[in-house]
Amino acid sequence: MDEQQAVIRIDDLTFTYPGAEEPALRNVSLSIDKGDFVAIIGGNGSAKSTLCKTMNGLIPHFYTGDYAGEVTIAGLRTDEHSVSELSRHVGYVYQDFENQLVRPTVLDDASFAPLNYGMRNYKERGMQALAMVGLDASPREFIWQLSGGQKHLLALAGAVSLGPDILIVDEPIAQLDPCHAREIYELLRRFNEQHGMTIIVIEHHTEFIADYCEHVVLMAGGRLVWKKPVHEALNQVGELLCHDVFPPQVTQAAHRMHGSHGRLPVTLEEAEQYFGPVNGSVPAAADVLAVPELIRRDQPVVTTEAASFSYKTVERGKKPVLREVSLSFYPGEQVALVGNNGAGKSSLLRLITGVTKPESGSVHVKGIDTRRTSPESLADLVTYIYQNPEDMFIEDSIRKDVEFFLKARKVVGYQEKVDRILSSFNLTGLQERDGRLLSGGQQRRASLAIGVAMDPSIILLDEPTASLDIATRKDIVSMLAEVRRHVDTVIIATHDMQLVAEWASRIIVMHEGQVIHDGTRESVFGDPYLLAQAGLTAPQIVELSRRMGMQPLCYTVEEFAARCRAGREEEVARNGAGAQAIG
Amino acid sequence: MSLMKQRYVLTQSQKMMVFILSMSLYGLSNMITELIPEFRFGPIELSVEYFAFIPLTLCILFHPLYAAVGASLGEVIFGEIMLGQFGGLGELEKFLAFSLAMFIAGSLVRDPKNRRQVGIAAITGVAIHQMISSMVDIGKVWVGIEELEAVPGLAESVVVIEGVSFLNDVLFSGILFALLPTMYLVPRLYGKIEPLLGMKPRDNKMRYSIGQILGPRVIVLSIVAACGAFIAEFMAESDMALIEWDADFVDTYGDWFIWVSIGAAALVALVTILVMVSRRRNAGGKGVSHG
Amino acid sequence: MEQVRKLLDKISVEQIKIELLNTAYGNANTLLARLDPRTLFIWYLFFGIAPWFIHQEPVLLGMFVFMVITTVMSRISPLIIAILCMGLLSQAGYMLVASWFFGGNWDTIMPLAVLTLKLSVISLASVTAFCAMDPEKLSDGLLKVGAPAKVSFGIAYGYRMLPNLLDEYHHIFLSFRLRGKAPEKHGILYWRSVIYFVKIAVLSFYPLLLSMAKRARTTVEALETKGFSYAGYDAEVRRIKLAHLRMQGRDYLFLAVSALYVVLLFSLT
Repeated sequence: MDEQQAVIRIDDLTFTYPGAEEPALRNVSLSIDKGDFVAIIGGNGSAKSTLCKTMNGLIPHFYTGDYAGEVTIAGLRTDEHSVSELSRHVGYVYQDFENQLVRPTVLDDASFAPLNYGMRNYKERGMQALAMVGLDASPREFIWQLSGGQKHLLALAGAVSLGPDILIVDEPIAQLDPCHAREIYELLRRFNEQHGMTIIVIEHHTEFIADYCEHVVLMAGGRLVWKKPVHEALNQVGELLCHDVFPPQVTQAAHRMHGSHGRLPVTLEEAEQYFGPVNGSVPAAADVLAVPELIRRDQPVVTTEAASFSYKTVERGKKPVLREVSLSFYPGEQVALVGNNGAGKSSLLRLITGVTKPESGSVHVKGIDTRRTSPESLADLVTYIYQNPEDMFIEDSIRKDVEFFLKARKVVGYQEKVDRILSSFNLTGLQERDGRLLSGGQQRRASLAIGVAMDPSIILLDEPTASLDIATRKDIVSMLAEVRRHVDTVIIATHDMQLVAEWASRIIVMHEGQVIHDGTRESVFGDPYLLAQAGLTAPQIVELSRRMGMQPLCYTVEEFAARCRAGREEEVARNGAGAQAIG
Repeated sequence: MSLMKQRYVLTQSQKMMVFILSMSLYGLSNMITELIPEFRFGPIELSVEYFAFIPLTLCILFHPLYAAVGASLGEVIFGEIMLGQFGGLGELEKFLAFSLAMFIAGSLVRDPKNRRQVGIAAITGVAIHQMISSMVDIGKVWVGIEELEAVPGLAESVVVIEGVSFLNDVLFSGILFALLPTMYLVPRLYGKIEPLLGMKPRDNKMRYSIGQILGPRVIVLSIVAACGAFIAEFMAESDMALIEWDADFVDTYGDWFIWVSIGAAALVALVTILVMVSRRRNAGGKGVSHG
Repeated sequence: MEQVRKLLDKISVEQIKIELLNTAYGNANTLLARLDPRTLFIWYLFFGIAPWFIHQEPVLLGMFVFMVITTVMSRISPLIIAILCMGLLSQAGYMLVASWFFGGNWDTIMPLAVLTLKLSVISLASVTAFCAMDPEKLSDGLLKVGAPAKVSFGIAYGYRMLPNLLDEYHHIFLSFRLRGKAPEKHGILYWRSVIYFVKIAVLSFYPLLLSMAKRARTTVEALETKGFSYAGYDAEVRRIKLAHLRMQGRDYLFLAVSALYVVLLFSLT
């Protein structure tokens, strides 16, 4: 009976990577039932991925370190069976899934594993897997022509092509816009419910865990802290925060108001019930982010006039990505560019850097026509920070990277300036390290410092918070304030609606290469039709306050809790007064 | 062979990582060098022949065989097949020459932190490669022209042209695109890139005096040993399958058609061989009479 | 340097990707493209080697004519052929010039012309045979004749990863350009600027080496989970994968016609 139930059983596992001093996993014991949907959470370096790699035999076969304990997968001991035997039972999708696609075309990749296992019907199996994930691309399409979301689906197809019992997905939604993220989880749920697969995800987004998972495993420093049912797990607000995991915003709000008494809500629907209707008349504090009209009377720093741009396609045609975009950006603004994948955000940023030129229309930066000048000379005014911070690291230490620009221009006294920048971005201790060897959050900080050291008036950031855990994300958001002190205008292209809600003074919504809205967070998040059209999802707390009819909307957990409490007190006071009058 | 025993041992998957790394990067660099314009005056050209520093660096830092073979394959795939310039057997000869040269260069270095060793290995690698290519080129003319010695001035001019281009490549490409970048990259990457592949850096606990490392006899012996090691290891590691012209000839076409075509092919082969033999005999006879 | 810079600006990554695709898959409908790879290998093996040992000019000339016909049939881009001819002619040219210094005379021309003819036959044979095959066909063919599985893996991986690598290289190169400073004076023949750009082209590989190392690790892990064994494909997998390769009537016909032609050439001289 027990044999049938537990599809994964780990017994007192300790593992040390080859050459490492400290064990990565210590005395981990875990059992996961067949058909479960489990989230593994924990801060950076808590060995979540290492744990998952013991489940398909990569540890101990691929990483031959010190290994003690026992792992049994679908009845097979992992140290006695090879990775390829185990892989028939376990599918694995990496966080950098891009590198797990190894064949040139779609069907070729999806059927690669069945072929290697010598299955005669490998092509049918590949087609089946593609149908299961619902990838809407031709089987003969080249992988390099697929979008990021499609590539992720293809990686999933490859993982399920052998019909595994267990599917492990490392950070399934890190690089997706909110709509595509939900689609991926719906897909995983289908695998779980219809195909009976046991699903294991490594996930930072607790909102999604609350909606889709059944159990949660908390890891910290290579140890397994606990495994609990999802509701109970997400209710441990204090403990989670301790381990750099942020529970859903609604849970945080409830915890802030009532402490850990009783059962806290973990989903939006529960929260609606939990908080009930609130007196909407409570006024919010003045919107600190709104830009006074005064600023707009200054000269704009960037203007685009009917700028259009398109890509060439293999069929030698053209695919328009920007259609007649006319915008002006002013000093002092904190602009967020939002919209689905492929809405044209990055293309617009690249036009401003002058690396690409508009096909028609014009782009002016501080009065200079980008078409008439080289990207090198525009680099003195505009800095573009890549989505992948590693593209910014060209030297072998953070310090050399930060000083590169200043040194090339022989700026007098650049050493002190570099020292100042390093310390304001908390990088002094890391300055001799190679950027590529830092953690994700440190890399982001370093890329911001490199940008600021170029002393631009405009800084452009492409997805500055993508694939960061929530704690690191908070750190970067506070660093953005630091960036703002050094430059006139900051423009961010992002999917991260929480960042938009907490930071932007002006929000530009793009859809299919056009600007469909240009306003404040009130006008964007208060308009459900606009959000639906652009494929956006408001942060949970904003959505909750909208559903509860609070006017104006709340943008942070703190604000929500404060206004709810104020609302309650007023209600209590009024009720009290009413009762007295009756009495 | 003793040379190989001193090397650290890698698992199959680690070798595969080195192979992929070397193949992709050297292949990419090959495409890029195709795009860089060249300046040419007859046999002397100031062109970027190749970014030899990439395979050199990887051969020195990791397993030299896998890095060398990976790089050569990368050149064939990215630089030839993908650009529509695959040259058949000519590629095989380039492949072997380049792999061998890079392998020897990588084997010469015992301590990646020793710049002098790295520098000597880099320039030796390029020199060996260019030497082999020159010899092959001379050999082609020798085979391709009937009675080469009888044609006035041609034999000398071929040797001189190949000699000049050898010197040109070793001094220009060798110094600018092998020696300098390799000496810059190896110390920077040592100890940094290995953990990314989940392996330990090559240890350099073995100490040698400078004379021991640089003595000409040691270098020559190492090269000879490395050639042997290369061939032996290449044969052992490659998974050459027996040629399978399998049975679909007979499976699908059991009729006369096959026999006609096979007979025709055999005839062509026979005629060719006969012509070759008679030519050889003639050439041999004349060569003796000249002497 | 303006020209070079403009050129660098123009060579967009997108453009290169598109050109690559068209080079690789542009000739799928020609007669030669429909042949089995083994047919083309046999054919190439003869025309790529035999000319070295043939010294009768009429036979070589006849083979050359045949090669021109097949080249035209396989619709190879004229550019590739032009580059090929330029290379062969210039090599012969300066060999001729150099030979004069060593007492050469007009008699030197004839042997050189024959050599060039041989080389042309060989080059055209390889261009026709290998451009007629798209990369999948070539890699299947190589696998069939017993090449290591790594070769066919390498070809597939090249087509998969090259665009990503180009993108990344391009980004790093741009980072160098935008944060660095191009020399103010170009120097004679733009030598300063040339050195500046070549130096960036070389230095850009340092970051790329490290990030490619990260990629390689995931890729090899994934290969392991997808059952790609390093000892090579076992015979069964090879058989399943290559089951679609069939020698057909047109293959034998093509070989027979070629053989007949060669026999005819020899018998006429």
